Amino acid sequence: MRLLLCLLAPLCLLGSATLHAATQPPEPYEFPLLNPFEATIATTPLELRPQLPEDDEIDQRDYRVRLRPEREFLIPDNFWAVNRMGYRLARQKDEAPLIFIIAGTGAHYSASHSEYLKRLFYGAGFHVVQLSSPTSYDFMAAASRHATPGLSREDADDLYRAMQAIRANHPELEISEYHLTGYSLGALHAAFVSQLDQTRRSFDFKRVLMLNPPVNLHTSISNLDRLVQARVDGVNNSTNFYELVLGKLTRYFRQHGFIDLNDAVLFDFQQSRQALSDEQMAMLIGASFRFSAADIAFTSDLINKRGLITPPGYPIRESTVLTPFFKRALQCDFECYMNEQLVPLWQVRHEGGGLEQLIEEISLYAVEDYLRDNDKVVVMHNADDLILGPGDLGFLRRTLGDRLILYPSGGHCGNLNYKVNSQAMLELFRD
Amino acid sequence: MTELRQKGFAAHLCLGLLFSVALGSANAADEVDADGFTRPMRNLEFNPGLDQREFERATLDALNVDDPWERWNRRVYHFNYRADEWVLLPVVRGYQYVTPRFVRTGVGNFFDNLGDVPNLLNSALQLKGKRSLQTTGRLLLNTTIGVVGLWDPATRVGLPRQPEDFGQTLGFYGVPEGPYLMLPLLGPSNLRDTGGLAVDFIAQDQINFLGASQLGTDHPELTALRLVDARYGTNFRYGQLNSPFEYEKIRYVYTEARKLQIAD
Repeated sequence: MRLLLCLLAPLCLLGSATLHAATQPPEPYEFPLLNPFEATIATTPLELRPQLPEDDEIDQRDYRVRLRPEREFLIPDNFWAVNRMGYRLARQKDEAPLIFIIAGTGAHYSASHSEYLKRLFYGAGFHVVQLSSPTSYDFMAAASRHATPGLSREDADDLYRAMQAIRANHPELEISEYHLTGYSLGALHAAFVSQLDQTRRSFDFKRVLMLNPPVNLHTSISNLDRLVQARVDGVNNSTNFYELVLGKLTRYFRQHGFIDLNDAVLFDFQQSRQALSDEQMAMLIGASFRFSAADIAFTSDLINKRGLITPPGYPIRESTVLTPFFKRALQCDFECYMNEQLVPLWQVRHEGGGLEQLIEEISLYAVEDYLRDNDKVVVMHNADDLILGPGDLGFLRRTLGDRLILYPSGGHCGNLNYKVNSQAMLELFRD
Repeated sequence: MTELRQKGFAAHLCLGLLFSVALGSANAADEVDADGFTRPMRNLEFNPGLDQREFERATLDALNVDDPWERWNRRVYHFNYRADEWVLLPVVRGYQYVTPRFVRTGVGNFFDNLGDVPNLLNSALQLKGKRSLQTTGRLLLNTTIGVVGLWDPATRVGLPRQPEDFGQTLGFYGVPEGPYLMLPLLGPSNLRDTGGLAVDFIAQDQINFLGASQLGTDHPELTALRLVDARYGTNFRYGQLNSPFEYEKIRYVYTEARKLQIAD
């Protein structure tokens, strides 16, 4: 079964250039994976990761809270597992600071980056709460008021209510102060949540750490949508892309002698003759995001009864075959979801105008002043992050000044678990 | 000695490669944006019309798994999900609560050692000489020095566990997988592998290695412990893929993972 997950992870699911960073990493940065695609998929080699507490040593549990009671009746039986919002809490014995972790696009609270951050902060003495992304299927079903993620302010509002409910669920927990972090899209959400907290004042976050946030959401989703257009060699009428990758894996394991899929093997695989090309890796990353897009399009359509994918009122029970809807949802990438579901909702509910105005409102531009004026917010980013476009880093530098920590390599979130980065993260939370 | 030298040579080669990669990126640095952005997508080759439908084609193919009992299977999937949430996982939590880690590791090793008997049988049936010898070595070492398998010195001396089951043996000799089948509590399978599971179970019962199956009959709590250990040792959680299409995804990955195991 572990094998299954390892296989799925890439599906579902990454020399140094001259640095003009506002804040430069103190020593020469020696993250070994200079290829941003490799870094994004494989992340840091095992020996360069920090020593962290094992799962067994962490006092943690998964909980569910009922945030939207009406959903139990609105969503089909098939989705019984997601009518209450799940989250994971790791608790320290005594009073401690608490940090919320917001997952990236489509990701569950137990996604691997989120788990890694939990272990890092738990090891440093924090209570840790892991939240699913507002773009994830479970959050959309259980916690989101409109179940149409993408309007950052609305998503932040949903997250904020979820965080308040979680705190109310554990009155016995002794908390000294609150912190907030998120990676990828979750980092953008963190900025909006923190801004909201300025007026609602429930948490008064002491430190907000944004890891690899998108700057312009439209740039990011076009980049991701475009990845599946990479021209891959070896695909033809008889062999599709997955068969190609699996064929390589099969041949690799034959040479290797036995199957042992773990993080170390990924590196060895990329050193072997079967290594994937940049285009093939791009396709793999792109495919994993397309699965997220399909889940979002399907779930949003279903809950709002829009009838684009599932006919409204179609009986869905536990035995219902969902594959036809999956096939339809697969055709929809992020751009398609935006045009067909997000923009119409925004125009109706918020009297929105054109696409440009929407992009302005949901990207980091909307919180520019807030980011500039609040020293507690810090951004860590990579110069070779796939979700960025030209000018994005310039925006971050102008806005945050020396509160932008820029690394020369790491791809998209590939160096989060590099020990130099983890050290720098913890450093930020020290008084 | 020659091996060492070869390794040294390989290391040099790697260094050389790394160096040239570093140089390459130093050249690329000239094209870095003023704000430091290195434009990672710049060198990717794209399909010129941007109308490639490979993702869609490959994924639609992947949904094509022989699954005539899908409605039944989906019910079992939901049953397993609930059983996991309400019974198995709480029991595992209790187990973790009452036992220290070294005990759990020992328990896991003990049952793994018992499992090496069918692993050996199936390696032998597939005429995999080297693997059979290695698994024999594991059994000897772990049963003796490893004190009836509580400890796993074999892995430390470079004899890792290499699971082989009768489903794999059947697959090795070309038996088709048959329809997909979601087994109550045990999870994804297919007709062939379910048959294999039964054969492995009976074989283990008959061989009665270390008297464990006899003991298991006399003390059902041992069988219970085995089940708890199996769930404790499996990282998978229902809902973890976090998709309304988790059923389809598990089905595809199970099917492909088995093909990979059989090919190896």
